[in-house]
Parts: sequence; C-alpha cells; structure tokens
Amino acid sequence: MNLEARLAQTTGGDLLTGYAPAKSGGYDEMIDAAGNVRPHWRPFLDALATLPSSTQTDRAEQLNRRVREMGIAHDIFADPAAPGKRWEVDLVPLILASSEWHALQKAILQRTRLLNAILTDIYGEQQLLRDGLIPSGLVFSDPAFLSPCSGIQPAAGYLQFYAVDLAREPDGSWRIIDNHTETPAGVGYALANRVVHTQVAGDLFDACNSLRLAPFFQSVQAGLTALTGRRDPRIALLTPGPLHDDYFSHAYLARYLGYLLVEGGDLRTAGDNVYLKTLEGLQRVDLIVRCIEGRTADPLELDAGRYGGPPGLVQACRKSPQLVRNSLGSAVAQNRGLAPYLPAICRRLFREDLLLADTPRRWLGDAANRRHVIANLDRMVIRSAQEGTGRPGGAQYGQLGSSLTEAQRHALIEEIELHGEMLVAEERVGFGTMPAFSSRGLTPQPFAVRFFVAATSEGLTVMPGGLAMAIVPNLAVALSAPEPRTHDVWIISDGEVPPHQSLWQNRIETARVQRSPRVIQSRVADDLFWLGRYAERADWIMRVLRSALQPTRGDSVPALVQRAARACLDALATEEHAPPAHYEVNDAVAIESVAHELIASKDGRHTLDDTLDKLYRVANLTRDRLSLEAFRVLNHFRPGTDWRRAIVDCPPDALLDLIEDGLGWLAAFNGLFHENMTRNKGWSFLDMGRRIERAGNLSEAVLWLFSKPMPQEEESGRLLYLLEVADSFITYRSRYRLDPMLALVLDLLLLDETNPRSLAYQLASISQHLGSLPQAQASTNLTDERRLILSMLSSVRHLDVEALAKDATRSDLQGALRKQLRLLPQLTTAIERHYFSLLEDQPHRVHTRLEPKP
Amino acid sequence: MIYDVNHRTVYRYSSPVVQSQHIVHMSPRAVPRQRIKGHTLVIEPAPTIRTERTDYFGNRVVMFDIEQDHKELIVQARSTISVTPAGPIDLAASAPWEEVVHRIADPKAHTDVEVGCYSCASRNTRPTRDIAAYARQSFPPGRPVLSGAWSLIERIYSEFTFDSTATDVSTPVTQVLKQRRGVCQDFSHLALACLRSLRLSARYVSGYILTHPPPGMPRLAGADASHAWISIWSPEFGWVDFDPTNGLIPKDEHITIAYGRDYDDVSPISGILLGGNEHAVVVGVDVVPIS
Repeated sequence: MNLEARLAQTTGGDLLTGYAPAKSGGYDEMIDAAGNVRPHWRPFLDALATLPSSTQTDRAEQLNRRVREMGIAHDIFADPAAPGKRWEVDLVPLILASSEWHALQKAILQRTRLLNAILTDIYGEQQLLRDGLIPSGLVFSDPAFLSPCSGIQPAAGYLQFYAVDLAREPDGSWRIIDNHTETPAGVGYALANRVVHTQVAGDLFDACNSLRLAPFFQSVQAGLTALTGRRDPRIALLTPGPLHDDYFSHAYLARYLGYLLVEGGDLRTAGDNVYLKTLEGLQRVDLIVRCIEGRTADPLELDAGRYGGPPGLVQACRKSPQLVRNSLGSAVAQNRGLAPYLPAICRRLFREDLLLADTPRRWLGDAANRRHVIANLDRMVIRSAQEGTGRPGGAQYGQLGSSLTEAQRHALIEEIELHGEMLVAEERVGFGTMPAFSSRGLTPQPFAVRFFVAATSEGLTVMPGGLAMAIVPNLAVALSAPEPRTHDVWIISDGEVPPHQSLWQNRIETARVQRSPRVIQSRVADDLFWLGRYAERADWIMRVLRSALQPTRGDSVPALVQRAARACLDALATEEHAPPAHYEVNDAVAIESVAHELIASKDGRHTLDDTLDKLYRVANLTRDRLSLEAFRVLNHFRPGTDWRRAIVDCPPDALLDLIEDGLGWLAAFNGLFHENMTRNKGWSFLDMGRRIERAGNLSEAVLWLFSKPMPQEEESGRLLYLLEVADSFITYRSRYRLDPMLALVLDLLLLDETNPRSLAYQLASISQHLGSLPQAQASTNLTDERRLILSMLSSVRHLDVEALAKDATRSDLQGALRKQLRLLPQLTTAIERHYFSLLEDQPHRVHTRLEPKP
Repeated sequence: MIYDVNHRTVYRYSSPVVQSQHIVHMSPRAVPRQRIKGHTLVIEPAPTIRTERTDYFGNRVVMFDIEQDHKELIVQARSTISVTPAGPIDLAASAPWEEVVHRIADPKAHTDVEVGCYSCASRNTRPTRDIAAYARQSFPPGRPVLSGAWSLIERIYSEFTFDSTATDVSTPVTQVLKQRRGVCQDFSHLALACLRSLRLSARYVSGYILTHPPPGMPRLAGADASHAWISIWSPEFGWVDFDPTNGLIPKDEHITIAYGRDYDDVSPISGILLGGNEHAVVVGVDVVPIS
C-alpha cells in the first residue's frame, strides 16, 4: 500500500492526500518515516476532519481576518498589504507530545541557567575569561557588553526572560539556532497568536487537551511582583515606541500583564530612583520590564545620544540591581560566537553535559577559524555575531559564500580579516517540516520554532507553547521569516488541563479596591487629547460630505438645504472664511470635485485622508489604553485598507455608502469609549480634545452659513441644514414644532447647555474637566486654561440671541464666533503647556572636547 | 618631580538647568611611577547626590546629580602628584609583534583579561582597510613590537599636523587619516586603531602635560591643557606609554588621570542636562612643578 492510501485510511483522508514530506530524509512533525501519522497529531486531525472542507477554509481565512483586526504586525504603521509586513497565523498548530516536551523543557532550562551563569561571570569575576573558556576578544568586541554594568549583580540573575530558536534535525533531535537574552523577544506575538487561534478554533484546541498559557503568565506576574518586595508595585514595560518593529508585542504584553507601557522620555531619574512623568508629577517606578536594547538605556553612561531609557538608569541599577529586567548588558550572552564554547563551560560550571547542541558554528575572532573559513568560503554562511533584540523572524540571512560575486567575495574576506571578532560562520544544515493549511489540504513546510522562558514565582519556567514560523530553507540558517507565516504551538497534556483562568481573576486576598488606579503619563494624556480631536474632526468632515452629496429626492431633501450643505462643504474644503461660492443644485460635477478636494487634496489643511491617517496613528500610540474592540473598529481606518483606497478614488455614486460606513465605525468607536472607558484623567483629556474640536467646527459652520444677510427662504434652508449637520433637528422639532427661526436655532446650538451638540455644552464640559484635573502649582491665581475657558463660557452665556437674530448685518454674531475661534487655539496651547510640558524638556548631552596645546 | 595641578571647568547656561547629571574623570589614578599626594574635587552648586566609584578600567570616577535650578556649574579638581621618570627601554628587545598578537589571543597563554580588552576595536578606533594598510608599514614581519610602535608614533608625529580647527569631538578616525590633521585625541585614536587592526593591545591615556613657556616668558595661568596619549602592551615590558602628538616616549612630564579603550571611557567631564538651552564652557588647566 502506498503512502497516500495508508494516510487516507488513518484519519482526515482528504486533508492528507497531498501530504508528501521530502524523501531526502528530513524529519516531519506529523508523519513518521514509515508514513504513519504520529499519535499526538491524531486528535487534532480527527477534530479538523469532522469539519467540512469549506468550514476549514473559512476558519483559516477568519483567522487572518482576526489577525488584521487585532493589528498583529511587525510594523503597525505599514500598509498591511505590503510584502514583508503581513502577519499570518496558520490554522494548523505545531503539536508536541508531552514526553518530548518534558525533555525539551529540561534542556531549555539548563540553557537558561548556563547563560545566566555566564552573564554573572562576565559582569563579575571573569573567571571563564581568565581560564580561557570564553575568548576575551569575543566579549570585548561585542557592543552588547556594557562595561559600566560590571558589578551590578542582581540576586535573581540577569535573565527574567529568555527565548530560544530551535530547528529539527533529520534524526528528530533539536538544535539551537539562536538565543535571545536581551528582551522578552516577541512573547507578545505568541500570546496574541494563541488568543486569535482559540477565538476562531477553540474547539480544536479543546479536542487536543493542550496546555493553556494563562497560568504561565500569572506566575510571570507574581514573579515580577515578588522581585519588587511590594504588594502593589508600579511596574512599567519600557518600549522603544510605536516605530519599533515589535511594538505590537510590547503593547500586547503590557496590556495582558496590566503594566504601564512607557518610553524613555516618560521616565526620569532623581536621587538614584526612577520616576514616571505623570499628570500628577513624578511617580516612582518599582520595576522596569525592558524591551529596549541595553546599550540605548542610559545616555549618560552607555551609548551617548540614545535615549531609550532615562539618563542615570545605570546608577539607579547599581543601587537597586533588580530594577531593570532583563538586567542591562544581558545581550552579550546571545552572542552567536559563544556556541562552540558552551559544552566546555557547561561541564566546568555544572558538571553536566550540554543537553541541546547548537548549530555548528565558528567564531571568526579566532585566527585558525578565519583561515579555515576563508579557505572553505563556498560552504559557509557568514553572519553577525550579535544581532538585534530578537524580533521573531527577523534574523538576517547572512552572506552565503557560494552566491557571491568576485568583488563581494573579496570584500567579505577583507571584512573577516578586519572584524572577524564580530562575525560567525556556519555551514548550512536542513530544517524539518510541519504541516501548513491550504484549501487543497495540508502541505509539508520547513519551519523553525521559538520557545520562551521566564523567571516566575515557580522558578525558571518554559512557557507551554511557542511561536513556530515557516522559513525559506534555501536561504535561512536561523529564524529568518521576512514574511511571517506563523503557527501556534500546542503541548499535549499528560493529565487533565485545569480550566481556563483569566489573568485578571486575582485571588481575593491579593485583590484590593482601587478606583482609577492607573496613572497617566503626560505623553499619553497628550495622545488621548489628540485622539479625541481627530475622531471628532473625521466625524465632522464626513457629516459635511454626507449632507452635500445626498441627491435631492423629490421633497425629501429640499433644494435649499442642499445648497446650504454645498456651501458648507465648499467652505470646509477651501478653508476660506469668505462667503462661499453658490452652486446650482444640479451642479453635481463641481460638488464632486470639491468633495474630492476635501477628501484627499494634497494641500488642503484638514482633508479626510490626512485626518484618518492621524487618527489611526494616534490610536496606535495609545493602544494600551484602548480596548481590543475599540482598536478593532479603528483598524478600519488603517492606511491601505480597501475602504481607505476606495474613498479616495471611488465613483461618486459609491462615495455616499462609504461615508456611511465610516460614520458608523466612528459612532461605534465613540460609543465604546463613552460606555467602556473609566472616567479618569485619561478620559478627561480625550473628551476635552473632542469638545474643543466640536466647539471649533460648530462655530465655523455658523460663521460660514450666517456671515451676511440673505433672503428669508435661503436662511431657512441653511437653518435646516445646520440643525441636521449638528444632529439637533429632532430636538428642535420636539421643542418648537415650528419651521426653524434663527433666534431659536442659535439658542439651541450656541447657548443651550442641555444640548450635547451646543457650543455652551462643549465649553461647560471642558471647564468641568479642567476643574477635575490636578493643579500643578498650588496657587490662588487661575491657570491660563481656566481663565480662558471661563471667559469663553461667560461670553457665550451672555449672548442675546434675539438681538443677534435681529441684527441684519450679522456683525455681532460674527464677532462672537470669531472670538471663540480665536480663543480655542489659545486654550489648546494653554492645556498643552500646563499638562504636557514635561515632554518638551528633553535632556541633551554636553561633552567637552580636549583642546590641548601641541 | 612633584606637580600641583589645577583643572577648572565652568559652564554657563542661557536658561536655568533643572537637572544635570555628570560623570567626571578628573581624579588621577595611581599608576606605576605616579603617586597621588593630594586631591580635591569641588562642585558648585553642591550636588544633590555625589557618588565616587572605581570604574571597570580601574579609574576613579565622580558622578553627581544636581536637582535644583542653576545657570552655572563649576567643577574644580586640584591634585598634587609625584612622578618618577621612566627608565630607558630597549625597544628592540621586545618580542616580534606576531608573537605578541598570538599570545594575546591564545586562551592557553592566560594573558591578563585586561590585555584582551584593549586589543579590541572600540567605537572611536574601528579599523578600516586604509588604517590597517597604514599600520602595516611600521610592522614588517618579525619586527619587535615596541620598535614597530615607535615607528608608527614617529610617522604620525611627522606626517600629521596639529590643527584644533580641523576636527571636532565626533570626527571619525578615518577622516583624521585622510586629512592628516587633528588634535591629541585624534592622533591617539588613530594610533590605537592602527595597533588594534593588527590585534595588538593598546589603551587610551588621558592626563596632563607640562608645557614650557617660550624662553624668557613667564608661565601663564590657565594656559596648560588636558592631554591624551597611548600605552602599548608587550610581554616583556608590560604597558609602555607613547605620545603621538609630541612624537616621544613620556618620561616625567606626563601626568596620568585615567585610561580606557578610547576617549569615551575617560572623557574628563560629560553630562546630561534638562533645560539649559545654549551653554558656554571655559576650561583652565595649570600644571605647576613644585619640586
């Protein structure tokens, strides 16, 4: 019986028909050498086979839709359709049997202990260097060796997090292709993959009796808390910021663990402690989970001019060695050149054999290695000894000797001769295969896998899961996957898997009532303020567009209202405060061209396209403050989506529907915020941003529409339009049952503090928010922003709408609105200066040069 | 020879500095032939925190943090140091340079870890092909390591022009080689890059040098300066100093403050300011022989 026939008999016949692992003797995860399905894959294949193949395909597609909605990506600002930026999760996980897992765990933990011990030695006694077990040139040529950190010996060791990349040998054993000792190395991606996968295919997961991740993260949390020695510590996750490739992972991990996501500029040291700059002033930080490169962590003592962390951080660590995790300088242990020296070090330090072998590798700081590698360059791949913070899939391919031109070869040899200390050479070894899902069934695909370790309350623990990625076998020697096609990793349990435990379900004794517990960084307050403004601005622009584009249908939209809508559109698009041009109702072509100008003009001030870009961007900056639902809604506005492309260049008749979509999403987003966000200071800034924007938009619209006297009929049209665009038509009708009259409309839209769309309501809300915020200086004088808002509010309250309406020249009305429009930007500036000013003062470096005489 | 050294640095800022954190390498370390008889370091305004420590390279470091508004910062180091002249060294008696290179890299030779440290390129001394080629001219096969070093130092001294306008604190050593101009810091970095391109071990020395006023002229206050030179390791003689700026082997007119891989490790004063805007700096150094 041939392979396919045997497979068809065992399980999931259709799925496996085309599954043919390479005959060359590589190891396949699912099928053994005899062609039989390995037993630990059966439950999954059985469960999958019960689904109709159309459902399987739907699930696979749904999975990647969820990935895009959640925004899992390497570069969150990139066009998700661009090559190399897409993150995909396969429906088929990598499945490991528990017996194999036990052996792997043991080996990985040994490796963690070993690298920890090496770091302790390098930053301590340096006995391994003195005894020649580690070449000193390897350490001292590595820019990750941070000499100022020598002697900071954290009692808990250097590594809080460690990750290891493995590849499968043809005989089924594993080899280590890379170590990651700098940061948590993308553990957030593995977590997000699991969350997405169980949302879409939780039934498959349950059918396999696989281990859950939540207990692991619970003990990660408990372990970090224990390090601080405090019951309720303030722990921050330090990220390089949203422009970093792994920002998604940082934000996701911070949110899941309930930690503050901070950037270098949010922190300051004083008196050898680290503080967070918040709206309430400086607040002490007890522990930093480090997701930045160590050498960027302190511009005072480490790389000058890089502000990944606050100046003085190294000195703070000397006082509190466990302040930063992983400890500063830990990356030196991931130097690839160490690999060949590890077996001897392991025997010396632990009297143990190294359980997991590294990929065969030579460090080119050694003269004999250089000679050998240059003589055999065609078989070698040359790579950096030290590389990055461990982005999953981010390993460089390296230079393959046999693929070089003569000139490249010459340059590479010169590089080896000059800077061999920073290079390693490897011979290429194969990768094992695992199944990948396609609509035609499963196909074998070369892969590598990353496992994660953390120092938890239970000691060093391997996360019972991981991150598997498809690799390009002809190019890769490590976890190189520029287009991340990933798989969840499932560990089959021996016994019963305990029921799901959410990380947020604290035991009752550790829980404590706390209202508005999370502090707000000044930077985050700033971002939330602009999130509110951009959301409101986008809403307003789309409302104006919708009104103007609505076709006149019999009596449903009177022609005069249409004309008002178009006048407003024109004013918004051209940004001229002069009375807008008048259109004939049927001048559809002109309206479309103005609409497109407002949507995507390159020189327009606030186009829709530009506003949505900014909205998406600032939403990402505040991502750890947004619920997943809120973020998912906003993801519709991501640059490069079909909707974003369509709205710029779709035919006019489709535009209205698209705008309805956009308004719907914004309404959902605003609703989520309104319903779900705690009314803390962050909320105040978001809402103030929204109110300031709305006050400005409304004032401008009234100014444009009633800038001069006009015939009664036209004025009625404009009043109707204004009520509609300001969402106050129903209120007006229920109150007056009259055709709109200027005095009544002005009362409703400018003065009525019970109407959430009125100018006075916006100003009163802002005033209330400002009243609830902490005063930086305890002074009897009013701060600028409070003085401004009181003056704006009282001048609106003093308006006499009857008189304004009677004044045929409209000059009083104009004056009142222009005053508001003049003061609003001043108000914004005053708020920024008061609450966000800690941001402006960035530290800078002073360096004195020697000016010696000859 | 005993010297009194007064090293005064004054910063003035155009707007108040809210916080300043500094690292100072101005306290001379004890080295063979040099004894520290007295030292004070005065900082104004008085720092909120002042810490003294020994850094990785064995230098004395003062770190301070001022957390009150200030528009002026004064750092003044006064030291009394006695220096014994170095005895003559037979450069040709040192081992061939290839042997020294081998010995530094050989784990079985158990050379000092420190020696290995100073054989590696650092940020300011990264060798290039041109630098390696320049170094090679002084190191034909089999040449004693210190003879080769002396040849290199003499070449830099004679082929390069001292010019404090040609470079600044960030000029890379490749450009120094190209334009053949610079200051003591640049020449020291170049010499280190050359020696390290051969995988020899050499370190950067920061300190002071006694200057001689023109004949008949009085010594001017504050007219002396910080100086920098290098030190090369050989198995027979240990660390031997060479001054590429002056083309000589220091005897008793060089006073060592600190050494490291390059300038960045031992910069006399460097700091981070919050606020302050523009700043002006005045540095005055007096090296006065008192006996």
